[in-house]
Amino acid sequence: MASETLYDLKAISKKFTRGKETITIFESLDLQIKKGDFVAIMGPSGSGKTTLLNMLGGVDQPSGGEILFDGKRVDNLGEGDLARWRANNIGFIFQFYNLMPMLNAARNVELPLLLTKLNKKQRNQFVETALTLVGLADRAKHMPGEMSGGQQQRVAIARAIVSDPKLILCDEPTGDLDRTTADEILEMLQILNRDHGKTIVMVTHDPRAAKYAGRTLHLDKGAFVEREAEIV
Amino acid sequence: MTDLYLIYKNMTRKPLRLFLTCFAIFIAFLLYGAVTALKGALDSGVEMSADDRLVVVNRINFTNPLPISYVQKIRSVEGVEKVTFQNWFGGYYQDPKQQVVTFAAEPESYLDVYPELLVEPEQRQNWLRDRQGLLVGKAIAEQFGWKVGDKIPLNSNIFSHKDGGQTWDFNISGIYTGEDEQMDTRSAVFHYQYFRETNSWNTDSVGWIGLTTKDPALNEQVAKRIDEMFANSSAETDTSTEKAFNKAFIEQIGNIGLIIFGVVFMAFFTILVLVGNTMALAVRERTGEIAVLKTLGFNASRIFRMVLAESMLVTLLGGLAGLGTAYLLIEGAKAAMARFLPGLVMTPEIAVQAVGYMLALGLITGLLPAFKAMRLNLATAFARG
Amino acid sequence: MGSLLSQISAVVAMNIRSLPKRLWMSLAMVIASAVVVAILLAFLAMARGFEATLEGAGSDNVAIFTRSGSASEINSTVTREQVNLVGDAPGVLKEGNTPQVSAELYVILDGIKKSSQTEANLPLRGLDVTGVGMRKGFEIQQGRMFTPGTNEMVVGAGVASQFEGFSVGSELRFGKNVWTVVGIFGTGGNVFESEAWADAKVIQSLYNRGSSYQTIRARIESSASIDAIRDYIAQDPRLNLDVETEASFFAEQGKQLRYMAFFGLFISVVMALGALAGALNTMYTSVAERTGEIATLRALGFSNLSAFAGTLAEAMLLAAAGGLLGALAAFLLFDGMSASTLGGSFTQVVFSFELSTDLVARGMVMALVIGLLSGLFPAWRASRIPVVAAFRANG
Repeated sequence: MASETLYDLKAISKKFTRGKETITIFESLDLQIKKGDFVAIMGPSGSGKTTLLNMLGGVDQPSGGEILFDGKRVDNLGEGDLARWRANNIGFIFQFYNLMPMLNAARNVELPLLLTKLNKKQRNQFVETALTLVGLADRAKHMPGEMSGGQQQRVAIARAIVSDPKLILCDEPTGDLDRTTADEILEMLQILNRDHGKTIVMVTHDPRAAKYAGRTLHLDKGAFVEREAEIV
Repeated sequence: MTDLYLIYKNMTRKPLRLFLTCFAIFIAFLLYGAVTALKGALDSGVEMSADDRLVVVNRINFTNPLPISYVQKIRSVEGVEKVTFQNWFGGYYQDPKQQVVTFAAEPESYLDVYPELLVEPEQRQNWLRDRQGLLVGKAIAEQFGWKVGDKIPLNSNIFSHKDGGQTWDFNISGIYTGEDEQMDTRSAVFHYQYFRETNSWNTDSVGWIGLTTKDPALNEQVAKRIDEMFANSSAETDTSTEKAFNKAFIEQIGNIGLIIFGVVFMAFFTILVLVGNTMALAVRERTGEIAVLKTLGFNASRIFRMVLAESMLVTLLGGLAGLGTAYLLIEGAKAAMARFLPGLVMTPEIAVQAVGYMLALGLITGLLPAFKAMRLNLATAFARG
Repeated sequence: MGSLLSQISAVVAMNIRSLPKRLWMSLAMVIASAVVVAILLAFLAMARGFEATLEGAGSDNVAIFTRSGSASEINSTVTREQVNLVGDAPGVLKEGNTPQVSAELYVILDGIKKSSQTEANLPLRGLDVTGVGMRKGFEIQQGRMFTPGTNEMVVGAGVASQFEGFSVGSELRFGKNVWTVVGIFGTGGNVFESEAWADAKVIQSLYNRGSSYQTIRARIESSASIDAIRDYIAQDPRLNLDVETEASFFAEQGKQLRYMAFFGLFISVVMALGALAGALNTMYTSVAERTGEIATLRALGFSNLSAFAGTLAEAMLLAAAGGLLGALAAFLLFDGMSASTLGGSFTQVVFSFELSTDLVARGMVMALVIGLLSGLFPAWRASRIPVVAAFRANG
């Protein structure tokens, strides 16, 4: 099972046009991510790590090449199919948490469940489980504005896992947090990976964060410069 | 939690802004409702008047009299069915400021030509029999507390009584109601014969002549025949449909009315444009949140619906409150205004039209932002953040 | 203090320069203020026009007599005998032995309005030279005066401009009677310009009035003479007449028109509330959009007063711009616009909208009040933006 491939990126290219200039971010990138991996993608800003993450999440499309998810192509899906695919398979964690400011913690966590067929009672159960998992069951009724950054990020994690996706994509999840809180969040991700079998892909510029990952990829000028620096 | 809850939470996130937006819409529709009802009341005289009745007046102006002999002559005109005549009495009750629209008319033919005046059979008989009988409309009966059987004096600001003074004594013999709520029931009618015998001028003239034709299709022909019959006489006539006559009279209020209503409607639409602009911009502020929803897997059409529903709800909230207040205002003012503006009601047509504008406003203000939200490119949305 | 002022002016200048970037918001604010001012000015100009037309018509030194209870000229009738008796009343001026009394008739004709091509009531007044002399500011603008005893009429400038076919020299047929227009007169823009005038004796015979008239005007020493005249009337049973000064008679007639102006004023105030809500919204959004900018300035050491002043100045400027725009629109659309409506005597009163500078000033005050109210609270909020907001992500 653990050796099964979840993501298979083949000869991905990505180009932007800015004014008259064409900026090439990736020329031809290959990447495989196995189920159960915890991958950290590092690199200086402008290296294309967020673009890569966006493409993995189906938020952005490559200019060329193929992205296979679980053996099926996803880079050519229409927007509606893509949205459904994201809802079913991926949880997102952002640097600035991106919680809805007008919804309390429980409602924020419940958001992805609106895309499922679960009934109200079931949804509440899932929300409770997710919040308990991140240690915030007692904060269910709090608004984002009433919580610390770490707590907000934990709510965001709960939101990412509530619909039990295979994969969690994190964009600088600790970028806005102090060191102690960052460690808590990273430990939590590690637990999700180790104990709950979630595949995690995390973009970060923090080498300490990368240490929690099972595999670190360094991206520079559109290419992986140092592959598979395994840390036990 | 449902989408509705999300919409509700989006709406209420900035209560002050919601309040201000709703308030502006509230004001716009309050004015719209009230002013349109007012305009409707002014126009109701025209709307209510019959298309198949003709009015014969003096060509010089309708305030100039016609000889009474014309009545018989017109009765014999081909195509004419029923004819009645009346004279303006210029009545008031107790104080010149308390005007009562009073006509001296031939009772039987009057009720024949104006069947929309509903009188109970017993009261009708009463009135026809009593030479000094006065048939009054429900509105003035209520205004002065008159009941059938009361004896009341009316004064004329034009005519003098043969016995001196300007006061005539009447018996209230009936109270008529209108077929329609908007109908003006502020007039009083009494026997022309009584008027003729008691006024000091002993005139043989009438104010104007009303008639029905055998077939409305004959109207034009009949009108022409009548006017030709009296051409080159000392009192030439001008015959037109009642509706055309009333319309001409209303139009005398002139472009003032037009200017006022024009200005109000201009302002109404400007407020809508302003509010629409604010609402559209409010959605722009939420680009990031919409992007998150999309990332979570909410599909484009669902987001489109949610944004659109929000603007619809805001408009309906403010608009219906405004329209409702206008309704209460009109209902409240109805009694007080009955003397000046009898047709003052908020008709279902006005309400439907207003709701139509609300939906249009919600749609127009919501459509563009909703479309933008739907088409939002996630990669660029995040790049901006 | 100097540095505070320079801070404020720097922030104000910066806010104003950035207005085009917030184009739609700025435009919304300008339009809100413009509409309120334009509407207000339209109604004020209308009210001013009424006043000039009706209240300017009446003289304090002319008494007007009508049949008691008749309330308007059209309903009134007076006899030759009453005219003679009024001439002997105390306070009525005489020239030599002739009392300065004008017996007048008031007939309504159908005229065709130029604007709508519909029939409208047009008053034809029958009078003589004495009566003409009682009208202040009377002048023949074109042609000549009618010759007594003929079917000639002179028409007011308002009639000539609003009704069809009243140019000098034209012949008009009303019923069987043919009239020739021989002149156009002005009376300084007041209500008499909405009338046509002809010889009273001719009207008596053409309209079967015998020797009766409808109203009597008399020159009196002063408005104080009215009481003495009232006593005189009360003592003579032959005189069932009401008397008042012409000034108060027209003031009464103008009342219903003033109600319309009040109605308009009320509407513009209500409307202003709605527009104010819109403007407040705009300014709050403007502050919200500039949160990062304001906080950054504060972090650089600018005072919160400068944030306050900057926002307030922005609102005031936009509102004032709107006010000017609204005044200009009102001026172009309404100033001098000729309008007519049904007056107290059941006839058309022609008047024109008058947008004077003092009214424009009132409109500008209104605009600044809107600016102040819609700027004050958002400015307060701007001044309370914490410095840390600068360091917060704006995503």
